[in-house]
Amino acid sequence: MSSSPILPTPATKNLALRWSLVIVFLLIEFALIGYAISGSIQPTAVRKIPAYEPWPEDVIEIASKIPVQDGGRVKPLSTFARFQMLQLHGTLKMKVETRGDTLTIKSTEWLLDCLFRPELANQLPIFRLDNADVVTNFGLEVDKRRTRISFDDITPIYDKLMQRGQQLTQESENRKLNPKEKQVTSFAQQVLSYQALTSALDFARDGMQIPTEQLPPGIENPESLQKFSHWMAILPEVSAAIRRAAEQNGGEIPAGMRDTLGTIEMFIAKTRFGLNWIPPYDESDEWRPLGRTLTDLIEGKADTWAPAVADLQTLEKLAPLAAQPESKAFLTELTKWQEDLIQRSANRGWGKKLPSEISYYERNYFKHALAWFIFSFVVCVIGWLVTQGGLGKGIQIFAGVTFIAAVLYLVAGILHRSLVMGRPPVGNLYDTIPFITAGAVVVLGIGELLTRRRLLLSLASFLGMAGLFLAFRFEYGDAKDHMDPLVAVLNSNYWLATHVVTVTLGYSGGLVACFLSQVYVHLRLAGVIEGNKSFQRFMTRAAYGIVCFTLFFSLVGTVLGGIWANDSWGRFWGWDPKENGALLIVLWSLLILHARLAGWMKDWGVHLACIFGGMIVAFSWWHVNMLEVGLHSYGFIKGGEVIWFFYLAELISLIVGVVAYIIHRVEKSVVSAPKAPLESGKV
Amino acid sequence: MSQLKKERTIGQKIFRVLAGFEIAVVCFALLLLLTFFGTIEQSWIGLYQAIEKYFDIDSFLVVPRNASDKIIFFPLPGAYWVIVVLSINMFLGGIVRMRKGWRTAGVLVSHFAILFMLIAGAVSSVLKKEGMMMIYQGEKSDFAQSYHDSDIEIFAYDENGDRTQPVVISSDHLNPLQENDILSVDLPDLPFDLQLTGYLSASTMALAKNQPDLAKENRVIDGFFIHEVERSTTQEENLPGCYVTIQKEGAPVQELLLCNLNPHPISFVVDGTRYGIQMTRKIWPMPFEVELHKTVGEYYPGTRKASWFQSDVTKVTDGSREDYAIVMNEPMRHGGFTLYQARWDAPQGRPFSGFAIVNNPSDKWPEYALYVSAIALGFHFVFMLVRYSSGGGRKPKTPAS
Repeated sequence: MSSSPILPTPATKNLALRWSLVIVFLLIEFALIGYAISGSIQPTAVRKIPAYEPWPEDVIEIASKIPVQDGGRVKPLSTFARFQMLQLHGTLKMKVETRGDTLTIKSTEWLLDCLFRPELANQLPIFRLDNADVVTNFGLEVDKRRTRISFDDITPIYDKLMQRGQQLTQESENRKLNPKEKQVTSFAQQVLSYQALTSALDFARDGMQIPTEQLPPGIENPESLQKFSHWMAILPEVSAAIRRAAEQNGGEIPAGMRDTLGTIEMFIAKTRFGLNWIPPYDESDEWRPLGRTLTDLIEGKADTWAPAVADLQTLEKLAPLAAQPESKAFLTELTKWQEDLIQRSANRGWGKKLPSEISYYERNYFKHALAWFIFSFVVCVIGWLVTQGGLGKGIQIFAGVTFIAAVLYLVAGILHRSLVMGRPPVGNLYDTIPFITAGAVVVLGIGELLTRRRLLLSLASFLGMAGLFLAFRFEYGDAKDHMDPLVAVLNSNYWLATHVVTVTLGYSGGLVACFLSQVYVHLRLAGVIEGNKSFQRFMTRAAYGIVCFTLFFSLVGTVLGGIWANDSWGRFWGWDPKENGALLIVLWSLLILHARLAGWMKDWGVHLACIFGGMIVAFSWWHVNMLEVGLHSYGFIKGGEVIWFFYLAELISLIVGVVAYIIHRVEKSVVSAPKAPLESGKV
Repeated sequence: MSQLKKERTIGQKIFRVLAGFEIAVVCFALLLLLTFFGTIEQSWIGLYQAIEKYFDIDSFLVVPRNASDKIIFFPLPGAYWVIVVLSINMFLGGIVRMRKGWRTAGVLVSHFAILFMLIAGAVSSVLKKEGMMMIYQGEKSDFAQSYHDSDIEIFAYDENGDRTQPVVISSDHLNPLQENDILSVDLPDLPFDLQLTGYLSASTMALAKNQPDLAKENRVIDGFFIHEVERSTTQEENLPGCYVTIQKEGAPVQELLLCNLNPHPISFVVDGTRYGIQMTRKIWPMPFEVELHKTVGEYYPGTRKASWFQSDVTKVTDGSREDYAIVMNEPMRHGGFTLYQARWDAPQGRPFSGFAIVNNPSDKWPEYALYVSAIALGFHFVFMLVRYSSGGGRKPKTPAS
């Protein structure tokens, strides 16, 4: 029987020791990975809200297409909801129990609750707490240290929380807040931004609530006086009347009028923040919440009273209908509002890519790609076990097909995203993750085509999985819309397409070489390729080839970056951390190449160097952004402590390599040691 | 049969060492360490100081330290000098000694191009000048100011109260000063000399009555004193200051206090003439004048994220006028000078542009070097890949049973 095409038959001594070590090291590595990803596992307690009614599908679909402006661009409400929910909740859905059923509420539905049913939204456990001290210090009791709570849960400590948040924000101007204090300010800010959403339509739901006895007698349509829009329409006249009344009353505003003015002021304040869903009535580019437009009108900075009042009236008609979400009336009014906003947006040339963006998120390319990569990896693993005959061949083909499906989804996602953004695919840290993943899997896929040893395909599937998992982890953790436009200095499609793309391909190469070498050292430690020099040579040549690939793209990308910096900032090289990070990869690749030429680095040396190179790539790709220094301020990130687990995992792989090398040397010396001379007379 | 081994001369031996891979590897390792420590140390000492410490021509030996100033690694040679050694090694080993042929053509050319790039860096570090020109819309300027260096200007006022041509004490003399140093400055064209003491590279000026305790430890002049402040990691924020004694024939006449924080000159009278003295960012006169007609800055709607800057300017040189539009990533290049749109703001509705001005003889050299090295390296690696894929890369075929 012939040996496996991937891994040769083991013919090694000390197999028990070797496998024991492999198992110990793998356990440590998996424990590290497990600990690192445990931070992204969210508590999933199901909240009981018997009164909760799900939104009908057609309402959700109509709402999701409403254009809003956020982050400097016009985007669908569904995208806005997605990132709002991620910021507050950490995931894109939550579960509630209603009269025996368990419902899943997604981001657009949650935003609809905030806007139209705040009494229900306030019961939803929307706030993610990673450290319960943030609320327990104010006297609120929660069941776990990491948990989720609702706005209603916070009510008893609301005033204390806001006071402390405000106080700390003021103090932060003069001193650095400690991490716990930062958590308090951040949580208070989250609560405020949530309230801005839930109170945006209070005026439309609650009305002016003027007691009937305060209404002047003989009014033809007393109901109209309960509408906020009515008061805004006649505000100039009301102001004049109030001034006259005050003059007659010795400077005092009559009590009834004072209350009404207070209510108007309150509604304006409540609608000043939150959702920017009103397109500008004038030539400006800024969409605003209604309250800010109303303030400008009152202050005389604008005179677009009529369209503003018309929008108030539309929302006053729409909001109460949401009490019956299934009703046709609500759907009709919502559709009208959506169509009106889309039309007004289109009149100014905005929102052309809204359908494409909605479709991008609906198609969930990266989730599909992740599923296919997992599938492909599983098939590859099966392929290691069944290597012979038609079945083995079939599995190999199937693994290739699933891998191609995964790559197609990944590449399609990157392209679709790029089309929506109207720029090359990589412009921020998030963009780099799918792109680097794609670069790595394509390089390995081509390697597999050239070598046909199955190993590169398995590694590619694994890296695809890991890369996309990282993409989701980063998107959820960062909770920012990474499709938002780039700062002026990055606004260059030429440089994004050349410098950024090449330098990230360099990162891909460095990581591929690192993981390939990790496979090598683990296989060597396990002793399964000790007898197969050809396979060892193939692995080393592949790693070395990928180092050449890394050097080429890192060098070209780094110098292109220098040329871009020279055009933008007036200097080719400034020893900025981001630049230095890229240079480190170039230097490391050059070191490997020259050390090999000098004869200082052979098989083991190349692989150990490649593993260390993975740490350098991680430093360059992620860590330099955490230093928060230099001109690349648009790329700074906070947190990111997970990177230390990566370094640790790489360090363990290095130890695996060193241990494997020592065992190899010891075994070799035993084999090649001269035999002791036989004592005379014994034979 | 015995073989005769050719004896090498000392020159050949030295050449072999200097041109060897070993030196290249050591240089790469050293540069790797220097770049790494020079990057992380920026977090606590700032970019400017890190460059001075690790990568400057004057830096011969570097001791990496952590935020608490503790030594964290062995002393290393300065990066500039490691690059010099690497350049020599690359020239001797990667160009002179290297075998010439098709197989090595790509590497040979790329070595040449990278060497050219390193030379461009060296030329830039020695000859490059840079500064900032700030102009309000509708105004013009013919000078730039240094980001970091401060000079002292001394000038007489004419009968109209206008400044005359100043005498300048260059930052080259000031920058090396320590607090306890004394710098005597002879001013042969003026009826007095100066003595500079108590120089602080990061200082602030304070009113003595507001900080009486601190004032006791410092010299108070006209109710003010300067004291040292913690160095900012942003070098532009570190403002120097010092005490100046006006001397006439060796005898002190008046003591003054200078701080870059003070935007106005300090006046004094010697022999009936009024003089002014001021510490200010080094002035760099331009060989042309720039008129700023219009400057526009845009932000993405609803954000403070810049989306676009543009400045419409006219460059006036000896009466000849040329119009330019300077935008992000598209600077104005002319006569060895390059103007970049670096800042924009409109305080109280008065827009201004800040132009970074650079004079760098090797401005475009790295770009040319890149094109050559990219093509050469690409050729080499594709050549190697073709050789590999046509050779023994694939799994050896199992012989038919």
